[in-house]
Amino acid sequence: MNLFSIGISHHTAPVDVREHMYVSADELPRVLAQLKERLFSECMLVSTCNRTELYGILQDPSVADREIIAALLTVKGAAETVHPDHFTSHHAGAALHHLFRVSAGVDSMVIGDIQILNQVKEAFQTARDAGSLGPVMNRLMQASLHVGKRVRTETTICEGAVSVSYAAVELASKIFADLSRKTALLIGAGETGELTLKHLVGKGIGKVVVANRTRSRADELVAQLGGEAIDYEQMETGLRTSDIVITSVNSPTYVVQSEHVHQVMRQRGNNPLFIIDIGVPRNVNPAAKKIENVFLYDIDALSAIVDRNLQKRTAAMPAVTRIIREEMVEFFRWHKSLEVAPTIQEFRNTLETIRQDEVQKHINRFTAEDRELVELVTRRIVNKILHQPLITLKQGAENGGGEAETTLRIKVLRELFGMTKHTEHDG
Amino acid sequence: MDVMVIVNLLRLLLPLLYAVLVVMYGVTFFQTSPRLERTKHPALIAVIVLHLSYLTARTIAFDHPPITSLFEIMTMLACCMGLAYLYVEFRTHVQNTGLFVLSLALIFQTISSLFIRDLLVIPEYLHSLVLGFHVSTALLGYTALSLAAVYGLLYLMLYHEIKSSRFGMIYSRLPNLETLESMSHRSEVFGFVLLTLAILIGVIWLPVVFKDISYLDPKLIGTIAIWILYALALMAKRKGGWQGRKTMIVSLVGFAFVFLSMIIVNVYLSSFHTFH
Repeated sequence: MNLFSIGISHHTAPVDVREHMYVSADELPRVLAQLKERLFSECMLVSTCNRTELYGILQDPSVADREIIAALLTVKGAAETVHPDHFTSHHAGAALHHLFRVSAGVDSMVIGDIQILNQVKEAFQTARDAGSLGPVMNRLMQASLHVGKRVRTETTICEGAVSVSYAAVELASKIFADLSRKTALLIGAGETGELTLKHLVGKGIGKVVVANRTRSRADELVAQLGGEAIDYEQMETGLRTSDIVITSVNSPTYVVQSEHVHQVMRQRGNNPLFIIDIGVPRNVNPAAKKIENVFLYDIDALSAIVDRNLQKRTAAMPAVTRIIREEMVEFFRWHKSLEVAPTIQEFRNTLETIRQDEVQKHINRFTAEDRELVELVTRRIVNKILHQPLITLKQGAENGGGEAETTLRIKVLRELFGMTKHTEHDG
Repeated sequence: MDVMVIVNLLRLLLPLLYAVLVVMYGVTFFQTSPRLERTKHPALIAVIVLHLSYLTARTIAFDHPPITSLFEIMTMLACCMGLAYLYVEFRTHVQNTGLFVLSLALIFQTISSLFIRDLLVIPEYLHSLVLGFHVSTALLGYTALSLAAVYGLLYLMLYHEIKSSRFGMIYSRLPNLETLESMSHRSEVFGFVLLTLAILIGVIWLPVVFKDISYLDPKLIGTIAIWILYALALMAKRKGGWQGRKTMIVSLVGFAFVFLSMIIVNVYLSSFHTFH
């Protein structure tokens, strides 16, 4: 298999290098077309903020890495800014392994970040639409997406929030059933606080209220996210009507006292109140934790959740490795079936089976001395039919260059004569 | 095949089948197993069908529905729990609570299978239609209250995990607090309404059928005490601002009373209600 991959990623290059290699969706068809013309019989390119990687079947397997890198840099116009040392390459099985690892989200910056699967899917789709996929890469697309799907459903590698702000949102959805009927109040406007609020908006929070010492900052945020800005002094009213409170205030003393919370809880009929205290030093008196139906978390508690989730994800690695191995075996099995020799053998067997069945069925109609003749004649007919297709296949394979064409022929032949069953993929 | 053979076979088989169900739901609670995940729903339906066949077979074999003794009631309760959970599975998005509900069904069915007696001579009044209504509303009511207690218990376990930041299996597998609370609350209201109906039918209609009925019957008093407890709890939630943890504790306490009164009244006190 001439599968080849080359690229830069967060493992090999800092962001200021990676950004030069970023290929936007608009550019992608042009880049693919140029690369395909120069080097590949099939190819695909995935580009995200963490990686730009090219996968393909080389027209000439002996071409050197640096030539491919040079081509990539030229196409991208980044030859001046990006050094070839930032690239890593993989060949054959290793390239397949790498693509499956990427699709499974285990090569991501944060282990199990499955968002990459969508990006891989889009990259394959764009390549397909641009006409740069052939039979092997098409199959590779199915297989990669299948790996991602299996990893997502069969392992816990993408479970649990792995950032403080997501951990807060995850907790919120373990306390409340329907966030669209809840109100979130952000007190102060620290970065993590804002991010948490944004995640909550992303999760469909019903209403957003922002209270900040600098009113203009609150107005700005509300203009961006929707919702309502209130004066900092009205904070207590806000506490009464909100279900989720994020505090992110730079203050040496507690901004919310536990007596406040007590009072607020009475006023709100003891409805659960989830307080996320992201301030350092803390904004909410930790004594409020003891109040019934109050769920108070500070930055350390949230970080502890993140650490535990990361550990859990790492613990799922063996299961992911097993899935990748299984899918590699499956892919190789399929790929092997595309080789010329076994296909010719199988094609022969298929026709021979048909011949024997038919002869068997009607042999009694012939006299004993004619039977030998029937065998001879039918055998010759089958051989004649086989002759031309087999010559074409063999020649295609021996000429080397036309591998993609040979692969396509084999695929079509297998489909037409129903020789695909044992390599069917269930995804 | 003789109907008695079916009755005895199913009597022995049902606790085992519920145990298998509990194991299946247990395994899928603690780990991911796509194969078990697919088979557990059909398995649940199969067990419930067998259980309904068992109840039907008993009714035919002994010429009365299995509602005349504590242990007959218990197998009815187990079946109702299974049915109620099946409803939860099909109609709500609440996942992964089968282990807990079905464990309760397993306990009821095991006790019933061990101690149930084959009663062949039955009093004529057991064929009364009104009594049928009385018993079925009471049964469904108790089932709903048991369900309320199970979801109450799950709520408290999850509440504790969230409050203490110790996130284990409960946290990762159970639905959210609000859902558990509303499941428990809705079951409780449903159970309360049915219990009210059962008491009303009992108090108004049964004296017409039975001449020797007494209003000082221990079971009647016990049930009314339980009814008052639930009435107060529901009132506290509506008017007194009781939310979350407190109401869930009440659902557990209420269930404990239901269970105790069922045992005490039927085993230790004589009452026209126990029939035998």
